[in-house]
Amino acid sequence: MNKRSASNRLSWFTSVLAAVALLSLPALASLGGDVSSVEADGVHMKASANVAQTGGYQVHEMKVPTGTVVKEYVSPAGRVFAVSWHGPFIPDMQQILGAYFQQFSAALQAQPHQYGRHPLNLQEPGFVVQTGGHMRAYTGRAYVPEMLPQGVHADEIK
Amino acid sequence: MRKLFLSVVLLGSLALAVGCGSSSGSTPVGVGGGGGGTGNVLSIAVDGGPQSGKTYANGMFASATICAPGSTSNCVTVDHLLVDTGSYGLRVLESEVSSLNLPTLNASNGHPAYDCVAFADLSFLWGPVQKADVTLAGETAKSTPIQVIASSTANIPTSCSKGNTTGDENTQALLGANGILGVGLEPTDCFFEGGSACDPGSGVTPVPQPAYYTCSSLPCSPQYISVNNQVTNPVALFPVDDNGVIVELPSVSGSASTVTGSLIFGVGTESNNQLASNATLFTTACNDFDTSFEGQAFDIDPSNCGGAGSFIDSGSNGLFFPDVNNVLPVCSSPANFYCPTSVTNLSATNQDPNNGFTAVVNFSVDNASNLFASGDAAYSTLAGPAPAGNGFDWGAPFFYGKNVVSTIDGQAVPSNLPAPPWWAY
Repeated sequence: MNKRSASNRLSWFTSVLAAVALLSLPALASLGGDVSSVEADGVHMKASANVAQTGGYQVHEMKVPTGTVVKEYVSPAGRVFAVSWHGPFIPDMQQILGAYFQQFSAALQAQPHQYGRHPLNLQEPGFVVQTGGHMRAYTGRAYVPEMLPQGVHADEIK
Repeated sequence: MRKLFLSVVLLGSLALAVGCGSSSGSTPVGVGGGGGGTGNVLSIAVDGGPQSGKTYANGMFASATICAPGSTSNCVTVDHLLVDTGSYGLRVLESEVSSLNLPTLNASNGHPAYDCVAFADLSFLWGPVQKADVTLAGETAKSTPIQVIASSTANIPTSCSKGNTTGDENTQALLGANGILGVGLEPTDCFFEGGSACDPGSGVTPVPQPAYYTCSSLPCSPQYISVNNQVTNPVALFPVDDNGVIVELPSVSGSASTVTGSLIFGVGTESNNQLASNATLFTTACNDFDTSFEGQAFDIDPSNCGGAGSFIDSGSNGLFFPDVNNVLPVCSSPANFYCPTSVTNLSATNQDPNNGFTAVVNFSVDNASNLFASGDAAYSTLAGPAPAGNGFDWGAPFFYGKNVVSTIDGQAVPSNLPAPPWWAY
């Protein structure tokens, strides 16, 4: 809901995506990874990127070719403590969850199976994944609570 | 509003007396044979779904008769299709329609098209696009592209599964239904922001999107596909009553073992689908509207479809919203629902993003674990959390005791009504 005011504060700049980087792409971790993984994600997802400094952390915002906006939240220590998405197609979870993907996948399968469609609220030891939305308007976020910078509340991740 | 819709309710009751209800899956039928209703009134039931012993909470189900194009004898009636105003197009399990040998439709490269749709819970459906005549009550959508949910999981690309390889709900046991009847705000499943992101002529997309694929060489790769071959909201292909639907369900106080109601086709086209003069109408931006709750505004940003929009979704089985004041504890496992110690009464205000019109919605949240333990199928007080970037997902409980109107983008409505898409209730 603060999107408009937040975007006014954004100091936009264009991240030049070197074509040569497309040739050899390590699928580096995103969530929990360091800031270099953000650039790798941008290249992997063929996204254009912008960076905003908000309070005590950076938000790297990428619009991928599907039209979905992926934001990666980077702490002053250079770690990705959260990722969020919003758009017509759900992003590749393996790419954005990185090292947390296996645990995420196992947790998803371990959920008691209940019929009915609903947003996901996966509260795992060490990380949280939440999703929502409807066809062609999906939202979601993943974060590592213990990596949130001092004074940052999870509600800021959206 | 309810008085004005009395005739509709009566019609719906009549329709109920005639059809509906079997949970045996598809049944061969002869000529005609509308699925569970008459005229423009399709019976719907919140009955726990087709799987015995496993309740589908707050699932609204209807039947459809699916025929090979042009045939009146090569048909099956499929029950327990989930009525979903949050998606667009009919998706049906392969096991239900395999006997029909439906013709497959091609993508723009001339090869058979496969459709992939993901849902908010990261489950997905994969399968070929095939053409069928779809009859809902007394209305037939001829030559409708539908998704046939493949029984095989072979060749599903990572960009479809999003890496969640076990998320494919390709059986009745996994899906809890025989298919999904998407009758929401758009004509096909690749429409958003006023165009189809999958059509090569749309100009809105730089590359083929991960919605339609061809598998002539592996791995299957995203391809463009013409709008005419995209999985289509069958209502939009009806010869009449093609501009939207009205979901009508009675009130539920707490929970109920079974609830029955009607899905009415058309808005302002027949005597039984007129918009009530006092109906609450919300036009949309990016198919969403705004909601304020506990002093916090959840607004869709029309400039980029960002922000936090709200929507009405019969396919979501609860009310899902961010608990901004942290008054609603989530259930221990799974944490997808709220489990307050006692019934909690709340209210939120929906707002039209275009004209500022507002209306208050009062609702109650009960302990989901207790509700599920009741064994009932319908719950008016089932709710759960949504991420902070989300507004309100007004799911199935919102529909009880209301006539919820949705209109389809691009379709014509009577001149006294705004251009679709919009909601009213």
